[in-house]
Amino acid sequence: MINLNSKIINIKDLLQKLEKNLSQVNSLDELKYLWREYLGKRGIVKTLFEGIKTLTEKGKKEKAPLIQELEKTALKLFEEKEVELKKSQSEQELIKQTENLDYTIPKIGHLHPITQTIRMLNKIFVEMGYSIMDGPEVEIDEYCFWRLNVPQNHPAMDMQDTIYIQEPKILLRTQTSSIEARVLENYKPPLKVVCPGRVYRNEKPNKSNHFIFHHYQGIVVMEKISLKDLFGSISYLFKSIYGPDVKMRFRNKYYPEVEPGVGADMQCFQCHGRGCQLCKGVGWIEMGGAGIIHPNVLKMTGIDNKKWMGFAFGLGLDRWVMAKYNISDIRTLLGGDLGYKYYENENTI
Amino acid sequence: MKILFSEIKKLIPDLKVNPKAIGEALTSSGFMMDGFEEIEYSSKKDYLLSFEVRQNRVDCFSVIGLAKEVAAYYGLKIKLPIVPKLVFPENKLDIKVAVPKYVKRILAIRIKGLKNKRSPGWLREYMAFHDINSANLLVDLSNCVMFLTSYPSHLIDLNKVQGQISWAMNRNFKEMVTLGGSKIPLNKDELIIQDEKNIIALAGIVGSRAAEIDSKTTEIVTETAIYDRSIIRKNSRSLKIITEASTRLGKDLDPNGLEFAEKLLISMILKYCGGKIDSQFFDYYPQRRIPPKIKFDPNLPSIFAGVEIPENKVIKILKNLNFEVKKIGKNLLVVPPQGRMDISLPEDLIEEVIRIFGYNKIPSNEIPKLEIVENITPQNIYLGEKIRDILSTLGFDEILSWPLTKKGDNEMVNYLDWNIVSTQNSVNEDYPDLKQSMAVGLVNQLQEYLKKNVEHIKIFEIGKVFGERGNNYEEHEAVGILIHTFFKEKKLSIIKETTEKLLRLIGLADISYMESKNKPQIANSYSCWDIVVEEKVIGILYKLKPQKSNQNTYFAEFNLDEIVKLLEKIQNKPVVELTQKLIVLDANVELQKGETINDFLAEIKKKIKSENIWSIEIIDEFSLKEKIRYTIRVFYKELSDQEAKKIHLKIFNLQ
Repeated sequence: MINLNSKIINIKDLLQKLEKNLSQVNSLDELKYLWREYLGKRGIVKTLFEGIKTLTEKGKKEKAPLIQELEKTALKLFEEKEVELKKSQSEQELIKQTENLDYTIPKIGHLHPITQTIRMLNKIFVEMGYSIMDGPEVEIDEYCFWRLNVPQNHPAMDMQDTIYIQEPKILLRTQTSSIEARVLENYKPPLKVVCPGRVYRNEKPNKSNHFIFHHYQGIVVMEKISLKDLFGSISYLFKSIYGPDVKMRFRNKYYPEVEPGVGADMQCFQCHGRGCQLCKGVGWIEMGGAGIIHPNVLKMTGIDNKKWMGFAFGLGLDRWVMAKYNISDIRTLLGGDLGYKYYENENTI
Repeated sequence: MKILFSEIKKLIPDLKVNPKAIGEALTSSGFMMDGFEEIEYSSKKDYLLSFEVRQNRVDCFSVIGLAKEVAAYYGLKIKLPIVPKLVFPENKLDIKVAVPKYVKRILAIRIKGLKNKRSPGWLREYMAFHDINSANLLVDLSNCVMFLTSYPSHLIDLNKVQGQISWAMNRNFKEMVTLGGSKIPLNKDELIIQDEKNIIALAGIVGSRAAEIDSKTTEIVTETAIYDRSIIRKNSRSLKIITEASTRLGKDLDPNGLEFAEKLLISMILKYCGGKIDSQFFDYYPQRRIPPKIKFDPNLPSIFAGVEIPENKVIKILKNLNFEVKKIGKNLLVVPPQGRMDISLPEDLIEEVIRIFGYNKIPSNEIPKLEIVENITPQNIYLGEKIRDILSTLGFDEILSWPLTKKGDNEMVNYLDWNIVSTQNSVNEDYPDLKQSMAVGLVNQLQEYLKKNVEHIKIFEIGKVFGERGNNYEEHEAVGILIHTFFKEKKLSIIKETTEKLLRLIGLADISYMESKNKPQIANSYSCWDIVVEEKVIGILYKLKPQKSNQNTYFAEFNLDEIVKLLEKIQNKPVVELTQKLIVLDANVELQKGETINDFLAEIKKKIKSENIWSIEIIDEFSLKEKIRYTIRVFYKELSDQEAKKIHLKIFNLQ
């Protein structure tokens, strides 16, 4: 036991010493040892407390509070150090477990421009209550020609240079009107249907023509329908795409599956009707064909043409896509030359 | 079809509009102007207008035909060229028609004492506007009449003919040298004109050198004819010869109009080349064409147009188009004019009225209020769109490729039990077959991208694949996915993850894999699995054999049509209501190597009522010497402990 009567207790020095010792502690284990040195059973503070017994009453009154103060401050310093060490230890642990951020930017996927254009058109027609249909690409002549009022050796065959699987019966469809023939056969009117799809012609590919291209067909069969309804529908479509100021022109044109037949033109968006290379000097660009469904087409599918009337329209998609995406060669659309820039996302439709 | 403005003015003297207006009028009424040029003709300012002629209006492959249209549009009269009265002697013309099946009408005449020469300047210029080289006066006059009337004619130098002229099917001639000097191999099934020794012409297509008109020609036979258009089209296509004559005679020309053309030609020859008619007017016309009489409701044009077109306007338009119109009660009886082979139905007349009335008078600014109808869109359309969204979100780019492939491509990628579908006349002979797997297009695209240094290649395609099974042509919609990586970066797990994400996002959960039964040649046979959902194989997933040592490529394909069927089946399952806690029981089973756990589980599933299964899971797998031990955990529902245990012991043979 220490005799405190002859000892001067300098709390300040003790605390300074403790602070110095604590600053050198780097782990909880070291802290534990230091704690024992100061606050353990045989530590400095306990020893001082025991020494109080050796004091006079006056001495006790004088020195006991100092020792208590020392203990209180030491405890506080140890607690603070412990918190500091624990925090540091967990950070060390986190550092050990660190994973680096992968800074590569994920690739953005793109839809093909043809798909995007079909979606744009589908959206407009679905809002108007149309259904979307597709049909076989390997077709029989019945659905591709004669159900559409195009019998063998009809002049319209001039327009249909066909790729055959088994001539003359089995072929690759030359037009999405074949889907029209199947829809009319399999569904009862009233009908509102659009049919986007791939079609084939026996044509040597070059920059502006391909033997594989894309059609967008529409048919409506109602009890009463007119060219006015058809013109309104096509105008709405073009205004939805090109804006309300677009100028449309409708003219008579021959297609065997419709009568009266209609050619739908849009005023040239490059020269605004003045005539340029794009529109071959005529000021208008042909956008598609249409007309009132020929009574023979309805009759052949078993639809009563006295009760029902219909209109049909067909648009070629590839030229639209080329104009929109600034693609100069139609072969790019179905070949290896179509690429997508890494960062740009054009899936906005 | 090209036409000079001065020609129209000559035929319609009262026409007061400018050439552009004529172009717009014809465009509106069905003949789109596709060329307009200011030119000089016969030393005067003129305009050359070019029109796209409707395929069923062969009468308008002519100046007179188009002029009639202009006259009808403006309600004016047309002044046709006057043919002077011709006198025909009794001399017989020795012509035989051996193929009545294909010949509808032939007109012919012999002219003697002609003086052929170089064409005058105006005619040479006229030929040049029609992109034809001037030959000589006789030939140019023949072509000139064709451009005026649509009817091609053929001149035969009689001094070169040996014996009788006949129309027959080719049986003897192996080749023919054309007027232009080209040697054409013949197939011995062409309709020809021949004499007793030589072939004189491929009828309706092109003449031969044997009886060619030249500067020394003094005696000719002029013939104009109409054939069954199918034989002309067939011969023209098979011999790959398209001429101004075959273009017109391959369509439906009216035999009744032939006489005007033949007589116009004769009169022009006599006028410009002199000579004298030396035979009777030969007219072979076994079956005279009678134009149809059509009963027509004059209200129909208004119904079809959606705007009022008064009856008197309807009648006026038809009469301006030279139709005969008689009013019978509330209806009209209408007879089409000569040349109008396209008119046979009331709908044809409706179009005639509306196209001249003007499409521009029909409003186009009203959105039609059409009734609401049933949505018949099939599920595969929605599914395709959903898959596109999912795959693009997962970083895949969509491509579209040729459905036709090179010979040998299908053999590399096919994994289905079907044969290749080949085309008979593919545009590109190197690409005759329809693709059997989406891998064809995706691998081709990959190779193109690699050539162009494109990295991060993750691409997909949705489209049709084709095959033949049991004499039936089949096609189904498929989704193909391809991932390519460089170096040692192995990404089989990515394509598996993509497959599973995709299938789960579209609503399929019970996904498993089994070693493929039919492995495509392009696949690494040790990394090739069938994708199974609900015990149904819906596609394939494989690593490609390395194209280069430092690259890895992975591919997956699904049959979209099968997925739709599965989704329809799954959607029928009702949502379950859990009234009791699930009973969880395990069982260890040992399978011989070679036996598949999927087959085993499928059998187990069959033994438990579907309403009592919540799930079956493999929770552990341990390889023994010759067997594999699996621990299977079954979650039973709507059963008591005892009931579940009883079933469990029985189906796993644990009793």
